[in-house]
Amino acid sequence: MAESYILLIEDNPDDAFLASRIIGKVCPEKILLARDGEEASELLQRMALDESYKQIRLVLLDLKLPKISGLDILQAIRSSAELRTLSVVVLTSSDNDLDQERCRELGVLDYIFKPMTADRLKSVLVRKKGD
Amino acid sequence: MGRLPCDISGLSLLYVEDEADARVMVSKMLAMNYPKLTIYSAENGAAGLESYREHSPDVVMTDINMPVMDGIRMSREIKAINSEARIIAVTAHSDTSYLLSAIEIGIHHYVLKPLNYEELFALTDKVLEQIVLKRLVGEQNRRLVESERQLSGAQRIAHLGSWQKNLATGAMSWSDELYRICGLEPRSIQATHQAFLDRFLPEDRPIIATAINDALEVSKTPAHHFCRIVRPDGTIRTVRVEAEKLLDGGGLPEALIGTCHDVTELKQAEEQVRSLTEELERRVIQRTSLLQASVSELESFSYFVSHDLRAPVARLEGFCRALLEDCALCGNAGCTQYAERAERVVRQIKQIIDAFNNLTHYARCPLVITTIDLSAVVRGIAAGFQQTEPERVVDFLIADGVRVKGDATLLHTAMEHLIGNAWKFTSKREKAVIEFGCTYEGGTAVYFVRDNGAGFNMKYVEKLFKPFQTIHSPGEFTWHGTAIGLATVHSVILRHGGRIWAEGEVDRGATFHFTLEENPESGSYLKRA
Repeated sequence: MAESYILLIEDNPDDAFLASRIIGKVCPEKILLARDGEEASELLQRMALDESYKQIRLVLLDLKLPKISGLDILQAIRSSAELRTLSVVVLTSSDNDLDQERCRELGVLDYIFKPMTADRLKSVLVRKKGD
Repeated sequence: MGRLPCDISGLSLLYVEDEADARVMVSKMLAMNYPKLTIYSAENGAAGLESYREHSPDVVMTDINMPVMDGIRMSREIKAINSEARIIAVTAHSDTSYLLSAIEIGIHHYVLKPLNYEELFALTDKVLEQIVLKRLVGEQNRRLVESERQLSGAQRIAHLGSWQKNLATGAMSWSDELYRICGLEPRSIQATHQAFLDRFLPEDRPIIATAINDALEVSKTPAHHFCRIVRPDGTIRTVRVEAEKLLDGGGLPEALIGTCHDVTELKQAEEQVRSLTEELERRVIQRTSLLQASVSELESFSYFVSHDLRAPVARLEGFCRALLEDCALCGNAGCTQYAERAERVVRQIKQIIDAFNNLTHYARCPLVITTIDLSAVVRGIAAGFQQTEPERVVDFLIADGVRVKGDATLLHTAMEHLIGNAWKFTSKREKAVIEFGCTYEGGTAVYFVRDNGAGFNMKYVEKLFKPFQTIHSPGEFTWHGTAIGLATVHSVILRHGGRIWAEGEVDRGATFHFTLEENPESGSYLKRA
């Protein structure tokens, strides 16, 4: 069986470091990091073509991203024939950033308020299993 | 003896005759025939003159040939006193030599002796009637003059001129005040239709011409027009012109009558009011835009706090947690403690950010104004506190029926903070009393929340309503962390156009007073971000 990944889309290096640290504690998967919306978008398109997207266990998506916003990426995932079934968890640092209505419409597994804790990530993964 | 058609009461007659029998007899007959006439008598010219001086009778009837002073001499003297005096001479045929003198003096009437009463009364009737008629005409003239004087005075005071135009001849007449309004001496120019039109500004002349034409039409109801008159000195007066037709006995238009009311000052005052109102509106718009600018600044600031500040604070919290987790591995007790304390500090920062956002929310959210039973609100809040700490004995004295206009949610929040404060600071009292009520100061309702708790030192009163400031040490009372309760109350009261102030004494309780605008504004003009 091929390797599987956690795709982390996060522009802030500190936040990326903290998230990676927690992911590393909880998940055996390798982390794929996209540092802005554009990079994430290109990566996802490539993975859709070569079918490597099937190896993504979970997408952790920061909403506030430069160039292409988190919501736009979520929208692109949901409208792509290949990617639409991906499990996406939204990362946010405040209520105000979170467009809950829009996220619910597009379908997300959960929202996690930063800083993410190991327990929180575990509970999300339990939930994914239950889906 | 005919009855006089006129009222002679108040008139008097002097009868002068030297023959006593005749004097008494004629006086008696006169008195019988003219019961309302006052009759005096005298026995010769000298006595007659004296009586005339004393009584000024309206008619003098006199014999001619008398001792001491004859009738002719007396009549001359009387005419000297009053040239209008009416004198009737009673003469014998033998006295005809006096007749020329009598005519010269102005004795217009005479009767011949021996007296024929019918003739005497007929003549007296005629003379009395003339006197009464003259008086009547005089009285009517006096009234007419008085009435004209009054009308002219009233026109002058009201600055209301009038004019009239005869439709058959085209002749026009203007009142004195109309001349004055036009800046002319009364009657200094001839009042004609053209002269009237010429008083007005050329562009206003058609309006006047139309007004005059319209007044002649049956269908049109009288209307008024505002036009401008130019005085010879160039000043312009604004007048209100009205015209109406006058009908003759047959119901046909006979004349046009009109008024010309100088309303220059009134118009100027109106103009002033209008420009003041405009100025006021301009200022309101300006202030509203300043207010909107402040609110929008507050919004960007609050956006900055809630978005931009939250992210690094969350990051800091993440690192504190990482430190805490990893320090457990290194085993240094000091490091663990520092990490824990740092994490607590971060949590505090997050609480402050939340409190700040709540506070700015109160300053910018539009209010939903309804009528609120504040007594019921306070009772509900009190019950809530009692449920949370049933072991505490607190006596709530809540005035009934305090109704106000305002935003239910915001006022509930404010009252919750005020009652909560009282609840908290009476926690060390065995018998706590918390009171809510309303008093009136100079017609304004002043609401209050009073407690017998810890109170405060009045020198810190300025700090009370400032956010994030506390005048009690954290350990002293149950501390809820951010100290924005009273700042929130302050903000809510301000939004309701009111004022809040406090009184207190250490260990003797505190009282919070506040007012509310009777009809608070919703502030819906505040743009939401």
